[in-house]
Amino acid sequence: MNRLRLWATALILGLLVVSCGQRSSSDPAAYPQNQIRLIVPYVAGGPTDIAARSLGRFMQQRLGQTVVVENEPGASGSTAYKHLISAKPDGYTLSMSALPTAVLNYLINDVGYTRASFAPVGVITQVPSALVVPASSPYPDLAALFADARANPGKVTVATPGSTNTHASETRRATKLYGVPLTVLPFNGNPEVLTALLGGNTVAGFVNVSQDMLPAIESGDLRVLAVGTAARLPYLDAPTFVEQGFPELTQSTTTFGVIAPAGTPEPVIKKLEEVMRAASADPEVVRALDARYVPKQFVGSTELAGLFERTEQTFRGIAGG
Amino acid sequence: MDLLDGISQGFAVALDPINILYVFLGVLIGTVIGVLPGLGPTATIALLLPLTYEIEPSSAVILLAGIYYGSMYGGTITSVLLRLPGEAASVVTTFDGYQMAKQGRAGPALGIAAIGSFAGGILSVIGLILLAPPLAKLAVSFGPPEYVALAGLGILLVTYLGTGSALKSLSMAALGLLLSTVGQDPIAGTTRFTFGQVALYDGLDFVAVAMGLFGVGEILYNLENTEKVRAIKGKIANIWPSGKDLRDSSGAIVRGSVLGFLIGVLPGGGGVVSSLASYALEKRRAKDPSRFGKGAIEGVAGPETANNASSTSAFVPLLTLGIPANVVMALIFGALLIQGITPGPRLIQEHPDVFWGVIASMFIGNLMLLALNIPLVGVFVQILRVRAGILAAFALLITMAGVFSINNDITDMWVVLGFGALGWLMKKTGFEPGPLVLAFVLGPILERAFRQSMLLSGGDLGIFVSRPLSGGIVAAMALIIVFSAVASRRRRRMLGRVTAPVTDTADGDDPAPDPAARAASRGSTSGES
Repeated sequence: MNRLRLWATALILGLLVVSCGQRSSSDPAAYPQNQIRLIVPYVAGGPTDIAARSLGRFMQQRLGQTVVVENEPGASGSTAYKHLISAKPDGYTLSMSALPTAVLNYLINDVGYTRASFAPVGVITQVPSALVVPASSPYPDLAALFADARANPGKVTVATPGSTNTHASETRRATKLYGVPLTVLPFNGNPEVLTALLGGNTVAGFVNVSQDMLPAIESGDLRVLAVGTAARLPYLDAPTFVEQGFPELTQSTTTFGVIAPAGTPEPVIKKLEEVMRAASADPEVVRALDARYVPKQFVGSTELAGLFERTEQTFRGIAGG
Repeated sequence: MDLLDGISQGFAVALDPINILYVFLGVLIGTVIGVLPGLGPTATIALLLPLTYEIEPSSAVILLAGIYYGSMYGGTITSVLLRLPGEAASVVTTFDGYQMAKQGRAGPALGIAAIGSFAGGILSVIGLILLAPPLAKLAVSFGPPEYVALAGLGILLVTYLGTGSALKSLSMAALGLLLSTVGQDPIAGTTRFTFGQVALYDGLDFVAVAMGLFGVGEILYNLENTEKVRAIKGKIANIWPSGKDLRDSSGAIVRGSVLGFLIGVLPGGGGVVSSLASYALEKRRAKDPSRFGKGAIEGVAGPETANNASSTSAFVPLLTLGIPANVVMALIFGALLIQGITPGPRLIQEHPDVFWGVIASMFIGNLMLLALNIPLVGVFVQILRVRAGILAAFALLITMAGVFSINNDITDMWVVLGFGALGWLMKKTGFEPGPLVLAFVLGPILERAFRQSMLLSGGDLGIFVSRPLSGGIVAAMALIIVFSAVASRRRRRMLGRVTAPVTDTADGDDPAPDPAARAASRGSTSGES
């Protein structure tokens, strides 16, 4: 009985300490005084999760507070973003985000948030995209593929890893801006697109050149017709869309960043931004993230906010098709 | 010669004491998480992934693979004892396994499942060694039209499962297909039937639906008549499968191994379709199909074997082409990438220690699982001695916690309770949850693949018959339909002539062929329309 009472007292004391801690934590200058939640909008073990965990370890060392990584997958990230914006904007709840998906979500469906709901912190990685065909494909270059698509509308299918993501939307932009009739063929993730390409079940594919796709490209099973960046990539021997006469097709890069709920105090954002800047220069973190995908120049809060705005302008009226 | 060299090198890696430890850890963790409903191999492997960064690549994959096939063994236990299928492939096991448990034959059910899983695992590893590259090629050529045909075949087979009226099975399958359309449209990306709830954007969670309909539904049903159903036996007499049990199920185990291995190679849906196909095959072959659904041991042995065989052959596309066939394979792919190893066509040449080491470890792992599971059967069946009220409350608690842990989302807990109430109503009114749940799993595959096929062909339905593979499956379905229609007519005529006065037998026998015939016509429409 006595022991039970002791436990109860300890529990109440513990709760008091916790609640006191929470009250004092609202002072932005003293941030951080509590553990920080970093939400990952995708499943554990995926690339975003691995990135978040190595960033989380670094933040924990720098800030001296525990960083808890939580996976809240679902609805292309919308579940996580909704949880984020329902949290107190005090810097103790952060989320990983993926652009343009985070913007496309609210352009296509009513998901209960817009870019105004977020306070961007900074960018962690940027993964470019490429238009690829299987090695056996008869198309030597982008011009040949697009010429055939114009000559035979409906013939050229472009497999994409999802229906609402960058790649589907960028393919629709190609059709809209340049009059190339391409059929978007949505699959579920990169592996399915790779299967369809190798099995000859799609003419072309538009995918992130992430770690899981590079091996097939390097071994020659896939041929890159164009990369979706403004300048050529050092690790892929392929021309850009821009070089081949399609200057608008540069919006397919996926940007992974960290966001906080709108209304988070400016000093807190500044502090987090500094930690992220340091992380992107830390050799250990860069190795874990894969140096190919870490931006050479750190992209901070203001630039990420600008990217959110530009993404929205680019894809408004195109997504969903 | 190459093959023998490879195998001996593999055993050299797998018999390293460190690797023996890892494979043991893997299968042990796998068994434990398989027993806990809701906690699946995906979540466990994801959580353990960071730990594997520091160890040898071959050890890492040996550990993770062990967790995966170990969980396939463990998943059987709750399906049989509590009617709680933790993953799609063990839904089929609940049909006869749970009935066996209710008849006091939980021990033989679990024993035969362990033996079948062992046989399936070993035969599948041998198949993996001999046939990996050609099979991988075949798997890759499976495009959307082939998946439409495969899913159509799956739905045709679903209707073989019922023990009751065909109309009821079909209406449940239709409800399952309908429920599977909740969430984002796979092609357009817009949402359907979500009522503005972001939690429903990805549709209803399979585990929540299955646990609700089977487990919670059963618990609620038993609450009404606790005393009769769960009378505690003084002693659980026979723990081991008898000689007759083994003889009865040996054919099912061999057929299940072959089916599971072949179908498991296909990315996505392989596991479910293989256990489903095995069950349907056994029921078809049985002299007295009416025993199925009432505790037929072949109904446990076949699907469990197929299930485990398919979990091994799922490694074929990963190790030979670098294509992960399911989420677990994707995680193992990620683990290898972090180690600087790229799974793909050159894996066998560049990293023979990984390729052969993992394969050899599967032999050892399956042996360990058999050694681990046979004694555990005796322990697990003691669960049935726990008083029903306590067991039900405990099962419900674990179910709720397990379901919450999948997405960290409270909505899933409401889904479990909602489907639990539905499952209870269905049980009272004689509707079976099996066809609903399996159609629910096959629905999204069917829908996405069908719409992709229409995009590929520009709306021409001919695509399903003009391609050799999908045309072949469609032809096979047509054969099944014709065959079962003829067989059911002949059987009815024979019954009418010989045993006309014995209406009892006719009643018991009639529903089995009849659903097949009706199902068949439906299956063909879903394959061709």
